[in-house]
Amino acid sequence: MAVASAPVATSAERAARRERRIGEVLLAVENISLRFGGVRALSNVSFDIRRGEIRAIIGPNGAGKSSMLNVINGFYQPQEGRIVWKGRVFTRMRPHEAAKGGIARTFQNIALFKGMSTLDNIMTGRILKMRASFLEQAFRIGRGRSEELRERAFVERIIDFLEITHIRHVPVGKLPYGLQKRVELARALAMEPELLLLDEPMAGMNLEEKEDMCRFILDVNEEFGTTVALIEHDMSVVMDISDRVVVLDYGRLLADGTPEEVRNDPAVIEAYLGVAHG
Amino acid sequence: MIYRETGQFRTSYAEDQAIFRLREDRIGIAAILAIAWVGVPLLADEYLLRAILIPFLILSLAAIGLNLLLGYCGQISLGTGAFMAVGAYSAYNLALRLPELPLLLDFFLAGLIAAGVGIVFGLPSFRIKGLYLAVATLALQFFADWAFLRVRWFTNYTPSGSVTAPVLDFFGWVVDTEREKYWLCLAFVCAIALLAKNLVRSRLGRSWMAIRDMDIAAEIIGIRPMHAKLSAFAVSSFVAGLAGVLWAFVHLGSWEPLAFSIDMSFRLLFMVIIGGMGSILGSFLGAAFITILPIFLNQAPAMIGIRLSTAMVSHLEFMIFGTLIVLFLIWEPHGLARLWQIGKEKMRLWPFPY
Ligand SMILES: Nc1ncnc2c1ncn2[C@@H]1O[C@H](COP(=O)(O)OP(=O)(O)OP(=O)(O)O)[C@@H](O)[C@H]1O
Ligand SMILES: [Mg+2]
Repeated sequence: MAVASAPVATSAERAARRERRIGEVLLAVENISLRFGGVRALSNVSFDIRRGEIRAIIGPNGAGKSSMLNVINGFYQPQEGRIVWKGRVFTRMRPHEAAKGGIARTFQNIALFKGMSTLDNIMTGRILKMRASFLEQAFRIGRGRSEELRERAFVERIIDFLEITHIRHVPVGKLPYGLQKRVELARALAMEPELLLLDEPMAGMNLEEKEDMCRFILDVNEEFGTTVALIEHDMSVVMDISDRVVVLDYGRLLADGTPEEVRNDPAVIEAYLGVAHG
Repeated sequence: MIYRETGQFRTSYAEDQAIFRLREDRIGIAAILAIAWVGVPLLADEYLLRAILIPFLILSLAAIGLNLLLGYCGQISLGTGAFMAVGAYSAYNLALRLPELPLLLDFFLAGLIAAGVGIVFGLPSFRIKGLYLAVATLALQFFADWAFLRVRWFTNYTPSGSVTAPVLDFFGWVVDTEREKYWLCLAFVCAIALLAKNLVRSRLGRSWMAIRDMDIAAEIIGIRPMHAKLSAFAVSSFVAGLAGVLWAFVHLGSWEPLAFSIDMSFRLLFMVIIGGMGSILGSFLGAAFITILPIFLNQAPAMIGIRLSTAMVSHLEFMIFGTLIVLFLIWEPHGLARLWQIGKEKMRLWPFPY
């Protein structure tokens, strides 16, 4: 189990600061079971995510991590269980409901709009905030004009924040992988989410890109108070930045606790050694 | 360096969001508009206006309509001809049965009726995609062909099924010369092109493109696929319907249902593919190309002393279209518009390419 034992100096302070901010339960998944034909992707999984925390979901390949995020934002409909989001109970969440309710996400295999520029991709994240009527848009009058300017200014702040000003007008299909991941994060941030779901945001990145991404996630969490749930295979990252960790294995919940607790959990160690992973 | 970006700083987002961001582009479009509005009507003869420029303008308009649906929203349609027919026959019947309405209102209402039909035939797009959707829209084409031929009410029980447009009287302005017809079409094309351009750079246009590029990702940012697709069908059909009215009332004068057959739908599809999917400019380039190529094929061989039969010319036409479409689909799905843009980018850096 490749766990970094020495976290960076600031992470302890950061964790301490976050601890003070972590609030009530924002989202709870309760007894979720999801099957695809004979495959049990998730069996009776329950955990919660508190406001303001960074929650990691880890586990070997095929453990059901992505499926869990898909259940949370309404992509997959679980056969059993329910989701409590900000106190409201959903047995069936729908993607646009999740979006409206303040859940944004990125995908394991980047899901950007390839034919559109970086700027337009991020602007799509503002769609739910825009109200201009059809005629206002067609004639570019009233809100059709003012909203475009207002939202553009908002999006520019995200572009600055994520340091992607130089690729503003480039079609995303032409960007290298690491930058595409960043644009996808930008689009999710543009939604001003309360909960940000990140599916392997650092997969396939080089060390420098990973460090940048870590910094962005921590900054988002700190500056905007955004709750983050992320799936990640790199244990040093997980141990470094997360407040609590959920471990899934074969669709079952294996462990749930602080990085320390999880790291020392015998079942977790065995699962990881058992599949020679990590 | 005749065409360049350096030294032109944009100091506000409003400037950066302008349709034509570069000074050279703005000068260019102003020149084109001046030529189109003043130069052409002064210089062009009747034949050129009637046989080439007016059809070109109307087909550009229809191509914009199809491009909004296919190029921007990614929903394939083989029924553009049918939407044009709906527009044409709606305007005809409105003018015939409600003569007290002003003609301009008839045109507008005809567009709305086409939009309504577009929404109904866009409903299957919720369940089906790609080839299957193409087949569903093809069914609309055949249905429209049948309805306008067989349901005699639409053609006011004229024995031949051929109908004639009313006098083009817009609040006292009677459009009867070729030059006036040209201006009328130009006005519609300029207005609709501008509105279309505004739409595609607004929220609605971005939600269409999001659906086109990846519908599942569009859903998670809160776009409702049904809403985006149906609005694309509606706007696209409105524009196609309006183009149909102009084609029938201004270009043809009197027409038969065959005027809007599957041929028309395919021609418009070719225009969009060759001109450039997802580009308003491309709609014009495609329409120009497809209008001019047959004329060129008719005249060019004769000029260099080769005589081709008319049959041969039309075979050649199809062969060239076919080849070009395959080539564009493989190498440049963004068509002539993209080639134009690449050319412009080269010019921007010229003479210092890096
Ligand atoms: N749409 C689907 N249809 C059928 N089976 C699916 C589907 N999505 C996931 N599965 C199955 O569910 C199980 C869990 O998959 P999931 O993608 O959630 O794993 P994961 O933990 O994200 O793995 P990885 O680390 O490889 O991303 C796998 O066995 C997978 O094959
Ligand atoms: Mg996964």
